[in-house]
Amino acid sequence: MVGIASYGAYVPPTRLAFATISGRELERSESDKRARGEQSARGERSEPERSVAWNDEDAVTMGVAAAVECLRGFDRASVDALLFASTTYPFREKQGAALVAKALDLRRDVATADHAGSLRAGSAALRSAFDAVAAGSARSVLVVASDCRLAAPGSGLERSFGDGAAAFLVSDTEPIATFEGGFAIADEIVDLWRGERDRFVHTWEERFVVQEGYTPSLIEAVRGLCARLGASPGDFSTVALYAPDERSHASVARALRLDPARVADPLFGRLGNTGAAFAPMLLAAALESARPGERLLVAGYGDGAEALAFRTTGRIEKLEPRRGVGWHLARRRPVRSYDRYLAARSLDAKEWESGGDPGLSATIHFRERDEDLALVGQRCRHCGAVQFPRQRVCESCFAKDDFEPMRLSDRTGRVVTYTFDFFFPTPDPPTIVTVTEIDGARVHLQLVDTSPKETRIGLPVEPTFRRIHQGGGRPNYYWKARPVPGGETK
Amino acid sequence: MSEGIRDRVAVVGVGCCQFGENWDQSPSDMIVDAAYEAYQDAGIDDPQRQIDAVFTGSLYSQKGPHECSDALKLWKPVTMVSNYCATGTDAFRCGVMSIACGLYDTVLVVGYDKPKDRGVSGPSVMMNQVRDLPQTPAGWFALCAATYFEKYGAGREDLARIAVKNHHNGTLAPKSFLKREITVKDVLEARLISWPFGLYDCAAQTDGAAAAVLTRADRARQHRADPVLVKAVTVQAGPNPQKDPGNDFLSWKPTAWAARDAYRQAGIADPRAEIDVAQLHDCFTLTELLSYEDLGFCEKGAAKEHIASGVFELTGELPVNTDGGLKTFGHPTGATGVRMIYENVLQLQGRAGARQVKNAELALSHNIGGHPTACGIAILGRS
Repeated sequence: MVGIASYGAYVPPTRLAFATISGRELERSESDKRARGEQSARGERSEPERSVAWNDEDAVTMGVAAAVECLRGFDRASVDALLFASTTYPFREKQGAALVAKALDLRRDVATADHAGSLRAGSAALRSAFDAVAAGSARSVLVVASDCRLAAPGSGLERSFGDGAAAFLVSDTEPIATFEGGFAIADEIVDLWRGERDRFVHTWEERFVVQEGYTPSLIEAVRGLCARLGASPGDFSTVALYAPDERSHASVARALRLDPARVADPLFGRLGNTGAAFAPMLLAAALESARPGERLLVAGYGDGAEALAFRTTGRIEKLEPRRGVGWHLARRRPVRSYDRYLAARSLDAKEWESGGDPGLSATIHFRERDEDLALVGQRCRHCGAVQFPRQRVCESCFAKDDFEPMRLSDRTGRVVTYTFDFFFPTPDPPTIVTVTEIDGARVHLQLVDTSPKETRIGLPVEPTFRRIHQGGGRPNYYWKARPVPGGETK
Repeated sequence: MSEGIRDRVAVVGVGCCQFGENWDQSPSDMIVDAAYEAYQDAGIDDPQRQIDAVFTGSLYSQKGPHECSDALKLWKPVTMVSNYCATGTDAFRCGVMSIACGLYDTVLVVGYDKPKDRGVSGPSVMMNQVRDLPQTPAGWFALCAATYFEKYGAGREDLARIAVKNHHNGTLAPKSFLKREITVKDVLEARLISWPFGLYDCAAQTDGAAAAVLTRADRARQHRADPVLVKAVTVQAGPNPQKDPGNDFLSWKPTAWAARDAYRQAGIADPRAEIDVAQLHDCFTLTELLSYEDLGFCEKGAAKEHIASGVFELTGELPVNTDGGLKTFGHPTGATGVRMIYENVLQLQGRAGARQVKNAELALSHNIGGHPTACGIAILGRS
C-alpha cells in the first residue's frame, strides 16, 4: 500500500514583522516578548510577520533540517531514493539531491534527482515518489521540498513570501496516510518567473495572475481529482490549498464551496508563501493534527496545478513525535531591524564584491565531505574514544588506524566552553563560538538560534546543517550547534 | 634525558628596532636596525668574519633567509624558523643548539615580522575552510575564559588589571609602540573583540625586529665583561587543544610541558622564588594570567589574588612584562621572542633604565601560539 510513512518540516526561527519591513524597529519589549514565544496563539498577534532564512540558511540547509525530522525513528540506510524540490537551489549546474543525501549520510547507491523550475516542483516530486514506489522501482523514497525565494526589497512579494521546507518518506509499508490519487494540469502562463540573470522573482499584474492563473488552475485540479476519485471537495476533512495570498486563498475555498472549518490555515502573516515547499508544508501541517481515517486533499500551483488525495491510517497515532510546522511556528526570533534582514540576504551595499576569496578547495571538500557534510567522526576500536574529525592516530590512546566511522549529526552534545566573536563577518554579531562535546568528541562549532545571554557551559545542543560562508562565490556548508529545545537530550 | 645546554652558550649582544606601525620601513630596514645594534652591543665590527651563521624567525614572511642575507649582506648559512608565536624563541633555540653542539662559535639570531603591510588591523579571516571558524587568535585564547571564570570566580576586571600594568610598563620602555597609561574602566568599556577580550585586552599589532648575538660561553668575555648565560631553552608542540578530550580549558598544556623541561634544564625547583623577572606572552590578558599559573608562579586559580596584591607589577615580588609586553610592543610574531630576550638581557645587566628590576639574576621569557599548540621558554642568568 503506497503512502506517506513519515513527515517532517522546518521553518527558520527568524521572523520578519511587516512593521519592520515598513522601517519601524520593533519596540524592545515587543521583540523580547516575541522572542519568548508569547502571543503565539493565532489572532492575538499584534504584528503580522513572515519566516526568513538567515544568512546561514538556504533551500539546502532547510531541506536537510526537514529531512532529519522526517527520518526520526527510521533507518537512514533504508532510503532508496531522494527527490529534492526547490526553485532556489543555489547551483544551476550541480545536483541538490546528492548534497542533501550526503548531509543526511544516506546510502551511496541512493537514487537522486532534483525537481526544479516551478512552484509545483514540490507536489510534482511527491507525485513522482508515489509513482516510483507504486511501480516497484523503489520501496522508500525521501521527498524534500524547500524554498527560500528572494523578492525585491519593498515589493509586495517580499511580504507574502516565506521560507521553509517539508519532507516526506514515501513508502510501500506501514503508511500513516495512503495515497489515493492525484490529478495535474499543465498551463502555460507568464505569471511569476525568474530568468537566468534575475535575482528577484518577477510577477505580472496581481489581478491577472489571480484571475487567469492561480484561481482557475487550482479549481480545475481539485475538481479533476474529485472526479477521478468519485468524490466531492466536501468529502475531505482537510483541504490544504496553495495560494499566493490570503484573499485569493479565501476566494478559491469559496468557489469550491468548502466548509471554512475544513480548509487548512494557509498561515499567511505567520509563515508566508514558501514557494515549492508551500503545498507540501500545508500537507505536513495537516498530518500533524490528523486522526486515523481522515481524508486529506492538498493542491499545489505553478505552471498549472496538481492535487493529491490521502487517507490517514491508524499508524498516524504511533508515529514518534517530531517537529512539524506547528512546532516551528511557535519558535520565533524576531529580526530587530530591516537593515539586518537586508544584510542577512546580502541585499545591503558592500565595499567589496563578495567571492574574491577562493573558498574551500574542491579537493579538500572532496576528501573531507563525510566529515564536513555528514558530520561523520570516528570511534577508536582500541579505547572506544570518539573523535572528530577523522585522524590516523587516536587522540586518547595513540592507537593507529583502528577506527570505525560514527555519525555525530544525529547525536546531542554539551557546550564545554565558548566565546563571543565580534570579528567574524555576520549580519548580527557576535558569532557564538563553542567547543562542544558530542559523545566524548570535542568539536569546534558555532552556536546559533540563541543569544550570548542564554549561552552557558553544559548547555545541551544538537548539530544543525548550515551555510558556513560564501567563499569562492558559492555556498560552503558545515554544521553548527543549536540549543536542544527544552534542554532535553536523548 | 640529555644534560641540557645550561651555561654553555652566552648572549653577548642584543638589539631591537623601534616597534610600531613602521609604514616607512621595509623588513630589511628593521632587520638592519636590530642586527647592527646587536653587533655594536657585542663589540662586533666585522660581522662577515665574526658571525658564523644566522638563525632567523618570521611567521608572515616566507623568504627569511633571503631577506636576512640580503639586508645584512652576509654570505653565511641562514636558517629560517617558523613556529607560530614561539617563532622568535625557537630561532633563538636553534642558534643556541648550533653553538652547544660545536658547529659554530658565534651566531646571529634575528626575529622579525611586518604584519602592517597587509592592510588589515586585525587577523585576516580566511574562507578557505569550513571547520573551526572563525579562526582568530582572540577566539582561540578566549576559550579558557568561561571555564576559568566559572571555576575560580575571576572576571574581566582581573584581566583589565593586567592590561593596565603592561600599559604602565610600556610608558617606561623607549622602543614600545603604545606609551599611554590606561585605567581598568578604559579596558572594560572598550569595544569587544572576542568575549571576554575587549580591544585593550589584546596585544597591539605592529612591525618590528629584534636580534641577539650568541657565542660559546668560554669566549663570551672577548665580547663584553657582563655576558648573560643561557640556562635553558625549549619549545613544546601539542595537538589542537580544542579537540583534546582531556582539556579542562583552565590552562594551556604547552606552557606547563615547556616549563617542566625548562626548569629541569636550568635546575630550578621553585620558580616563584628563583626567577627575578619574566616576560610572558600577553597576546591577550588571559594568556598572561594563565601563564602565571602554568609556569608555577602561583597555584592554579590563585592568579586573581596575586594580581590584586601587585606581585607581578614592576615593584612587585616577580615583575612580569617589564617593558609592557606584547600589549605595548605589539606582536610582530617572529620578533617577539627575541624582543623578550633583549629585555631580559637589559634587565640582567642593569641597563633597563626606569623599569629596572633590582638585582635581577635569573630571567624567563615565554611565548605561546597556535591554537595554542606551541610554546617556547628561554631562561637567562647572570654569569
